[in-house]
Amino acid sequence: MPCERKPMRYGHSEGHTDVCFDDSGKFIVTCGSDGDVRIWEGLDDDDPKSINVGDKAYSVALKKGKLVTAGSNNTVQCHTFPDGDPDGILTRFTTNVTHVTFNSTGTRVAAGSSDFMVKVVEVSDSSQQKTLRGHDAPVLSVSFDPKDDFLASASCDGSVVVWNIEEQTQVISWPVLHKSTDISNAKSLCRLAWQPKNAKLLAVPVDTKVHLYQRDSWDHVSTLSDDLVTQPINVVVWSPCGRFLAAGCVGGLLMVWDVDSKLCVERQKHEKGHTVSGVAWHPSGSQLAYTDSQGCLGMLEGFSSAASSSTKTTKVPANKEANDYDDLFDEDDDRLMDEGLSDTHSPTKNPVAGGDDDDDDDLMPATGRVRNRGAFLDDENSRDTASIKLGQEKYGEDDDDLDGAIAAPAAPLVPLRPVYDGPMPTPPQKAFQPGSTPSHLTHRFMMWNSVGIVRGYNDEQDNAIDVEFHDTAVHHAMHLTNSLGHTMAELSQEAVLLACPSTDQLASKLQCLHFASWDTNKEWMVDMPSGEDVRALCLGQGWAAVATSGLMLRLFSIGGVQKELWSLPGPVVCMAGHGEQLLVVYHRATGFDGEQALGVQLLQLGQRKRQIINGEPLPLSRRSHLSWLGFTAEGTPCYVDSEGVVRLLNRSLGNTWTPVCNTREHCKGKSDHYWVVGAHENPEQLRCIPCKGSRYPPTLPRPAVAILPFNLPVCQITTEKGQMEEQYWRSVLFQNHFSFLSSSGYEIDEDGQSQTQKRQQELLMKMFALSCKLEREFRCVELAEMMTQNVVTLAMRYASRSRRMVLAQRLSELALEKANQLQEEEGPGEQEEEPEYTSARGNSGSFMPPPSLQTVEEECGEEMEDEGETVQEEAAAENGKRLNPFAKGAVSPEKPVLKPISKEGRVNPFKVMGSGKPSPSCGQSGSRVTNVLDSMTPVRRPVPLSSSAGKQNKSPILKPLAPKSKSKTQSTLFNMTASKIAPKAANKKPRENSELPADMPKRAEVPPPAPTADNGENRKPKTGFQLWLEENRKSIKADQPDLEETDVIKEAMSRFRTLSAEDRLAWTERAKGTQAGDTDLKKRKRDGGAENDNMETDDSNAKKKKSLDTSAKLSAFAFNKS
Amino acid sequence: MDPSEVEFLAEKEMVKIIPNFSLDKIYLIGGDLGPFNPGLSVGVPLWLALNLKQRQKCRIVPPEWMDVEKLEEIRELERREDTFTPVPSPYYMELTKLLLNHASDNIPKADEIRTLVKDIWDTRIAKLRLSADSFINQQEAHAKLDNLTLMEINTTRTFLLDSLNCMYKLRSNLMPGASKGKSSMDF
Repeated sequence: MPCERKPMRYGHSEGHTDVCFDDSGKFIVTCGSDGDVRIWEGLDDDDPKSINVGDKAYSVALKKGKLVTAGSNNTVQCHTFPDGDPDGILTRFTTNVTHVTFNSTGTRVAAGSSDFMVKVVEVSDSSQQKTLRGHDAPVLSVSFDPKDDFLASASCDGSVVVWNIEEQTQVISWPVLHKSTDISNAKSLCRLAWQPKNAKLLAVPVDTKVHLYQRDSWDHVSTLSDDLVTQPINVVVWSPCGRFLAAGCVGGLLMVWDVDSKLCVERQKHEKGHTVSGVAWHPSGSQLAYTDSQGCLGMLEGFSSAASSSTKTTKVPANKEANDYDDLFDEDDDRLMDEGLSDTHSPTKNPVAGGDDDDDDDLMPATGRVRNRGAFLDDENSRDTASIKLGQEKYGEDDDDLDGAIAAPAAPLVPLRPVYDGPMPTPPQKAFQPGSTPSHLTHRFMMWNSVGIVRGYNDEQDNAIDVEFHDTAVHHAMHLTNSLGHTMAELSQEAVLLACPSTDQLASKLQCLHFASWDTNKEWMVDMPSGEDVRALCLGQGWAAVATSGLMLRLFSIGGVQKELWSLPGPVVCMAGHGEQLLVVYHRATGFDGEQALGVQLLQLGQRKRQIINGEPLPLSRRSHLSWLGFTAEGTPCYVDSEGVVRLLNRSLGNTWTPVCNTREHCKGKSDHYWVVGAHENPEQLRCIPCKGSRYPPTLPRPAVAILPFNLPVCQITTEKGQMEEQYWRSVLFQNHFSFLSSSGYEIDEDGQSQTQKRQQELLMKMFALSCKLEREFRCVELAEMMTQNVVTLAMRYASRSRRMVLAQRLSELALEKANQLQEEEGPGEQEEEPEYTSARGNSGSFMPPPSLQTVEEECGEEMEDEGETVQEEAAAENGKRLNPFAKGAVSPEKPVLKPISKEGRVNPFKVMGSGKPSPSCGQSGSRVTNVLDSMTPVRRPVPLSSSAGKQNKSPILKPLAPKSKSKTQSTLFNMTASKIAPKAANKKPRENSELPADMPKRAEVPPPAPTADNGENRKPKTGFQLWLEENRKSIKADQPDLEETDVIKEAMSRFRTLSAEDRLAWTERAKGTQAGDTDLKKRKRDGGAENDNMETDDSNAKKKKSLDTSAKLSAFAFNKS
Repeated sequence: MDPSEVEFLAEKEMVKIIPNFSLDKIYLIGGDLGPFNPGLSVGVPLWLALNLKQRQKCRIVPPEWMDVEKLEEIRELERREDTFTPVPSPYYMELTKLLLNHASDNIPKADEIRTLVKDIWDTRIAKLRLSADSFINQQEAHAKLDNLTLMEINTTRTFLLDSLNCMYKLRSNLMPGASKGKSSMDF
């Protein structure tokens, strides 16, 4: 409905005005702050009739020859019309009257005042007044129900009230308006309007929308809104037909809605953008008169009749339905409006920008949208990461665009154009530096990372940058003047990297303060090529990377040498560096419906440069954006999104991202956030700054770092099972960095690693026990599959003890399988396993002599039957008798329980599965496990011993040779020295032991052979055999130089046996002569070679234990370092 | 007991510092401290905190109660109540003095805090004197005073005990000694 906007004309002096038509529509009546009421015979009337009504006139109403004005003299005056003779005062208030209005018949006048009251006065008899009290602030406007039952009023207290006039009571009150103290402060005049004729709807201007309330039910049935309306609506007026609603806004916008379809049929802009303070329809509905706050009068002509006729024909059938289903279609219609507008928006702009694109727009509605979007995306000021919200598509629309641009073509296009109703693209988030606060702040953190803090100040006095290091050993604090206007910073142990965007004259610059440089030149600077702005920075070890707006990634050495450069697949979001790794996140595509479509690249920039993650999508929470990106201190990529979810790269699962923490769960208030500054995997720490009521911390007072724990979001975290599962998988996840570090050639904390592994196995065992208790045998087997072989053995015992034979059977099969697997891996895996083996042994200190298997089983069983106990406790109890393997570097027990006898006599029920499996490779398992395993090893040992099962196997054989002992009975000076060497050898990596055999014999010649040395506790110091052996060793050696030490002893044994009885007796006597508590020779003989083995093992155990003993004792003094 | 001794005891109180150096756990007779990570707050005894502070090795995080608003609340409460109110820390006076003397740059609004703590102290000492006064006046045998800190007790103990002793002597001399005194006077 094209309408004609007549030029404005001055009506009153500057200030508030109001306007109305007379009943016939012949005259326009205006009032203004000059206190005059002017009666115009049409807009062109150059000589309007003026009636002075006071100092100021706030409101005017005219009906049936009565002109009622509200003035600053606290009265409601009546004049005759059109003569303008005073006709008395209708009513008085104590302060200004703000609004007057007639009822539909013209018999009553309602007036609202700043004294919070509303009065309803009979025009014929001003003594008949009704006063409506209840507002708590000045009344903004009043409006009569056309049926005269009700009266609506709006007030500065924020409420819109409907009164029952007769009863003078409030019917309903809606607190929908902005509160203000006075009319002059109110954002909107909030002139209400009842729908004429059927009085069905009450229109209330609420901010930028018009709410429609239904009579009687007083439901909020629909809302009229429009994208163009950016400022509050001042006035609403119904057309006389009751079908259109005109609204005048603060910004000077005039809108007309078709209420049935809720479509905006007319938009007009005040030619100067002044606030519209009064609007009136011509009684015929063809004209719309309006006045502004500057005293001008304007007119829209000739649109509404056309509109009403045209729309009537098309819309009439739909009317009834629309009324009934107002609620239903409410949302959709609004949506349509929105979409329609943003589509039509660009065409309206185009005439201004240049007509070239008109054709495109008409053909393809979508192009207009896209172009529109592109336009505001480039608008740098419009957004930063903090302000990303849904539905901000319209953000960039400035008033400037609208001024004068609301040309006629806009309106008719709306209903015709097909409306796009699909997912809306999300504005891509801007590039940012992780660990920085938004750049618009005057005092901000430009960088907060694990190295230090870079603060930027940009106020009147100062434009400076402060660099401060957490560890002052790195460098002292720096204060730099920021003459270049740097906005980005990055900090590492070696350098500070700063960058500024380009200005009109200057190119974008990259400045590096390389404070770790050993020469005197600590600073370098590089200009970016023209047209390229630095968007993101990061520093690694010995390199710096810069991503620019030209979709380039430029690599520099830390000294300033330009290195590789390559193109990025999309606009960069942020980057992070750690060691040789570079992590880049960029926009992969346009996201929709609030999502960001980000891609991530992880590059290794070491000797062998390669890309580890090739631009895969970066998973984010729904409708969130990236808020932090970095590496953990151990070098695992990690990031945080705006929903507070922290995700960590899981290298062992094909570089997937696992959520490890939700910082929002730790927040107390809804608007509180945690600002992440770093993450550590060992110990598991998320370092962040709690921000109360904001996303970012202020620079002052200096915020304190808090530490959050990690938590995997597993199901049923409250149950014991869930908790253990969470702990297990978290431990597995946070252990990944060990393998990464070792694979990239870094040192790793082996202690830490073995401890985590130990803990994992313990957790598995606990879970196993739990599932056992719950009679979930299948689950038990599943769990057992995750265990190491040794723990499976323990689990098996547990199962058999708790009389789950089927389970035990399955477990034994599993254990066998695992053992086989291990053996297969043994060859290549050996080298790696060895250190673990030693450390595990060293830790556990569990070299107790092998008790008979039966005993172990019984012990285990007893404990396991006790359901209440955890496995840990069981293990502790089990060990309590011997030693505590959990205490690291624990002092080994003074009394190893030696039960060498009958060890081989008993049958090992589990021997099958253990066969062929050399025990030492069990190093990975926890100490408790090793413990149990140890008790089993001697049984299996003979098998691998004979074969050449690997270097490790030799070590137990070698050890007996080293004379044992600190056992008091035996300690000679020589032994002392020897034993000093021996523990060392034993303690060192077994690999070294393999070299020992060569020099072993030398040593072995001199000291008393091992068997004698053994068992101070057993009081069997030296036997005749041993004496004999000492003397004859050389000859045996000479005879068979290629013999191993065990073989030497064996040989010696057989030779000794061949001696005559007397000889042997003689040797025994000699032995008795030298030592007090002698051995029972016969027994010894009976045990024969087997005993030798025993002794060896015993001895080796004792030896290790002893060696550990000393170091442990020492370490006990030096505190327990764990 | 010397005030300096009380202060010495107070130096065992734990405070939080943010070190600017890196150090593994240290093992002391009193227990393990650390590990010290630059930028991460860690609890240490006051004596160590001050030592580190003086060597510019750390920033001290003021205790939670060392905050103007909280202290104002405490002061108001202290003024309102007739009895002693619980203090935020058993060594509040010593902590305040030591921290403000050595680390006032790490404590926001140090001057206000000093005044507030002094106010609280004055109020409490006034109460203490008052109660001592009424205790003596009414010749009570015992009195119960809750929520007193060591330093407060210490300020009044020697004097109060000595004067009580003194008065006891005087009084015990007065009664039976009245005749004695006379007799001695007679001589």
